[in-house]
Amino acid sequence: MTKYFRVLLLTAILSISSQQALAIDSQTLPDVDEGVVSINTIDPYKRVGYTIGDVIEREVTLTIKAPYKLIETSLPIVGYEKRYRGKVIGIELKNIEHSKKEHKDYTTHHIKLAYQVFTNSVVAKNVALGPEYLNLINTNNKKQLVKYRIPSLDVAVSPLSIFGQVKVENNMSQFLEPLLIKDDQERKWLNVAVGVLALSLLALLYIFGKHAWLPRMGGSFARAYRTIKKLPSKNDTGLKQAISAVHLAFNQTAKMSVFNDNLDEFLKNNPNFSYIKSEISQFFGLSRQVYFEPNAQHSVGNNPTQWLLKFTKQCRDCERGLIPTTHKAGV
Amino acid sequence: MSDVQLADWRNHALTLESEVNKVVVGQQTPIRLITTSIFARGHVLLEGDVGVGKTTLLRAFTRGIGGGYQRIEGTIDLMPNDLVYHTYLGEDGKPHVSPGPLLMSGENLSVFFFNEINRARPQVHSLLLRVMAERSLSAFNTEHYFPHMIVFADRNQVEKEETFEIPSAARDRFMMEIPIVVPNDDAIMEALVFDTKFHNVDALVDTVKPDVLQFDELNAFSSVIQNSIEASDTLKKYALNLWKATKTPLDYGVKVSGVDMNRLVLSGASPRGMSMMLRAARVNAWLNNRNAVLPDDIHAVFHSTIAHRLVFSPVYEMRRTEIAREMLSGIVNAVSAP
Repeated sequence: MTKYFRVLLLTAILSISSQQALAIDSQTLPDVDEGVVSINTIDPYKRVGYTIGDVIEREVTLTIKAPYKLIETSLPIVGYEKRYRGKVIGIELKNIEHSKKEHKDYTTHHIKLAYQVFTNSVVAKNVALGPEYLNLINTNNKKQLVKYRIPSLDVAVSPLSIFGQVKVENNMSQFLEPLLIKDDQERKWLNVAVGVLALSLLALLYIFGKHAWLPRMGGSFARAYRTIKKLPSKNDTGLKQAISAVHLAFNQTAKMSVFNDNLDEFLKNNPNFSYIKSEISQFFGLSRQVYFEPNAQHSVGNNPTQWLLKFTKQCRDCERGLIPTTHKAGV
Repeated sequence: MSDVQLADWRNHALTLESEVNKVVVGQQTPIRLITTSIFARGHVLLEGDVGVGKTTLLRAFTRGIGGGYQRIEGTIDLMPNDLVYHTYLGEDGKPHVSPGPLLMSGENLSVFFFNEINRARPQVHSLLLRVMAERSLSAFNTEHYFPHMIVFADRNQVEKEETFEIPSAARDRFMMEIPIVVPNDDAIMEALVFDTKFHNVDALVDTVKPDVLQFDELNAFSSVIQNSIEASDTLKKYALNLWKATKTPLDYGVKVSGVDMNRLVLSGASPRGMSMMLRAARVNAWLNNRNAVLPDDIHAVFHSTIAHRLVFSPVYEMRRTEIAREMLSGIVNAVSAP
């Protein structure tokens, strides 16, 4: 019972003393003796050019020797507006992070302070972050309360724009990094445009490659072969159209009209076709019979259209620089 | 009957060619073209330098086909009547008139050679062109006919002084213009110089088998050829396209280097020229043992039947031979059939 009462009494005393401490104006307390507290700060590199909305962070590391201890309720309160000579200076503590590490002879406090600027002066002016006053208590003598002053940090606040000026480019502080415009949308469209351009180039390559996906494909005889395959094979009209398609392919390949009397010139200029010289002569014989001399004989058999299809395929092979199937290895 | 006749005459024609080729060496193409013109019954303009064998060639052909051969030299003072008659004082001291080259052989005249036609005056051209077109002449109150005559004329292309260029209308009367050039073959050139058989032209011509053909049957047989050798619709269309291309070569993508094609052609081939071309092509098909004309037959006679008919801008006339050759080759290469 007695023990329980003691604990209750101690709690009440500490609670009251905390309230007293809170109620105590830190600035009226005596300063802590020199050497009791050592401080190490990490201040922001940038000291000027802050403007409304900017957040300035500062890290403070305090090492407090025993028997003094920090009264943690004396730590700066978030949202507290700093004043100078009774006037709000426009710096507000936005966030505080506190951690401590206790040792036998000392305690280390790591305090991270984040201040936010809430002023927009028309001229550049200095503002101070702090000072912050912390209360310490001598654990050997609970009545001895002292204060420690975290030194202030001076920074300069700049106006958003020079008074009367509206052109942002002229008003930008040299100390501000350039304002970047978000280009996500533009990048997306650029990627789409590059894609379309690539496809267009591919299409142009296809067109200028004479509709060939690979070199030497889609040539005149390949087209003639496709045409003949679609033609009716039984009637004279189909045969005439087939012969005409092959003539066209010869003319396009030679870049001139090819006749029986300039066949040697054609073969000289297109040596790939020399494998099928005799078949070419047969073709011109067939053309002669169909188009010019009905009484003449041709030597392509009873199914000229079928022969023509096979012949055009051989020509297509020659056009692609291949040896026609029937002429490979003495076949 | 007709097929047998065609074959028989073909053999004769090829024999004639062979005989002439023995006498005039290295001229196979001109000889084939002259054979063609004989059977197509067309007059021929020969183009070539002096001393290349034109006269020998014509005399050899005349011996082979029979009939009369007459020749006259074109000079600046030659008058039309010089072709018709000569006047002289006879032994009796009286003036006499004897027939000129045109009348000398009468109706049997088969070859009339007008050497250097462009040296003669236009009046002479005029008379000759009438004779060529109508194969008749009015003289001494009589109408003289030369139904079997073919005129061969030669024009000197090198010398231009004291010459009268043959107008396009006159050129159009000739079926062909055939170039006669010295052969490139060294062996032939050597033979022409060193082989003594070529030195005596009369003896050389006498070696040609005489009367291989009957000159007075050529007209009738020519009609047989023209009626027997067919031309398909595709070929007719091809010939028409060639004709159009001679008028507007640029429409067919034909270009000649260094020539403004928009200004080059004043007039393309004439209808008479195209019909003569097809006559010659039919003969060529017959000579090659075919019953129908092929594009190859047209190509064989295209240059010789068309080139001299083209009328170019005066600025290009000096280069007409070279330009016409390039243009017509371009046309053959550009127009397709089918």
